[in-house]
Amino acid sequence: MNTDASSADDAGLRALLLKGLAGDAAAHRNFLMGAATLLRAYFRNRLRGSPEDAEDLVQETLVALHTRRDSYDPNFPLSPWLYAIARYRLIDFLRRRGRRKGDFSLDEVDIGEPDPEFAASDAKRDVTALLAKLPEKQRRAISLVKLEEKSVKEAAEATGYSESDIKISVHRGLKALMKLMADAT
Amino acid sequence: MKTDQLIDMLANNVEPMQRPAWARRMAATLALGLIAAAVLVIVVVHIRPDIGTSMTAVLMKAAFSALAAAVMLPLVMRLMRPGAPLGWRVAAVFVFLGICVLTTAIALLGQPTTARMHAWTGGYFPWCIVAIPLFAAPTAAALVWLMRGLAPTRLTLTGAAIGALSGGIGAMAYAMYCPVDSVAFVTTWYVVAIAICAAAGALLGSRLLRW
Repeated sequence: MNTDASSADDAGLRALLLKGLAGDAAAHRNFLMGAATLLRAYFRNRLRGSPEDAEDLVQETLVALHTRRDSYDPNFPLSPWLYAIARYRLIDFLRRRGRRKGDFSLDEVDIGEPDPEFAASDAKRDVTALLAKLPEKQRRAISLVKLEEKSVKEAAEATGYSESDIKISVHRGLKALMKLMADAT
Repeated sequence: MKTDQLIDMLANNVEPMQRPAWARRMAATLALGLIAAAVLVIVVVHIRPDIGTSMTAVLMKAAFSALAAAVMLPLVMRLMRPGAPLGWRVAAVFVFLGICVLTTAIALLGQPTTARMHAWTGGYFPWCIVAIPLFAAPTAAALVWLMRGLAPTRLTLTGAAIGALSGGIGAMAYAMYCPVDSVAFVTTWYVVAIAICAAAGALLGSRLLRW
């Protein structure tokens, strides 16, 4: 269905994702970087003329891929999984926008030649501002573990929560963040 | 926040993720749904009083319902994995429907003309088309919860498949009560009841499964 990723890319990204699932942060980071490039091409092709919307969707989908990466079944190739989620986020975005505008036309969804300019443009919404809207416990857990690069243990000591509490708060918080990102678009 | 910063944030302190045990989670969910449905049947409509002598009929009806659920299961298992090909799994559902129609026709033709209507409807309104969706509800709720934890991408289809699977489980429990034992009744109205569950699932899917 999608030829954006060659099978070599697919195997490479897949290996990175699997290492990330096993806890390798550097591999996971590289997976997300590779996924971002594919997603940027995918969304820009379909939302011509609004690279900011495309970048919003890249970010939203990256959080979706990250928080729901356990939905990837290693028995299947990677790109159908990645693009199924990307496509779902795109449809959700178009529905939301359609509902807000009252009417929406499929003409806006342009599927044509790839956009030559693949560099990241700025996203419209600010994820930092959205983080502030999360419940206090999730916000603190994310800010300690994900932004200040404290270990889960240190975060647990700083907050008085247990380590598993911190892990769950980070996970739930990121899922909630994706929802906030979607609703803010 | 720029996308690169977001990636840095996501990749910080990555914890190992447990591989989801797809089959085990599904089995546990369905077992839970079946137990809940059985309890509901026992409490709300009671087991049929002649269960001792009608055990074979009850087991046959439960087995038919289990078969309907088993036909839906491969499709639901595939819909749990975003992007996985569905292949023959949709066709299997329609083959099963075709076999049910055929079985109904053969069973009715085997009856004397005067008894046909009674064999088909059981003599009064087929209440199972109301009852089975109700007994399917706990399973449906559990399946929605299971699915929401993953990343469903085809919400209407997933809703329909979850609905039909729950309908099969609900029908298994309902068989303990169901007083009508005619083959044509079961292959018609149980299937209609399961189809109603599927339709409800398709309608509610995009709302309940959205993430």
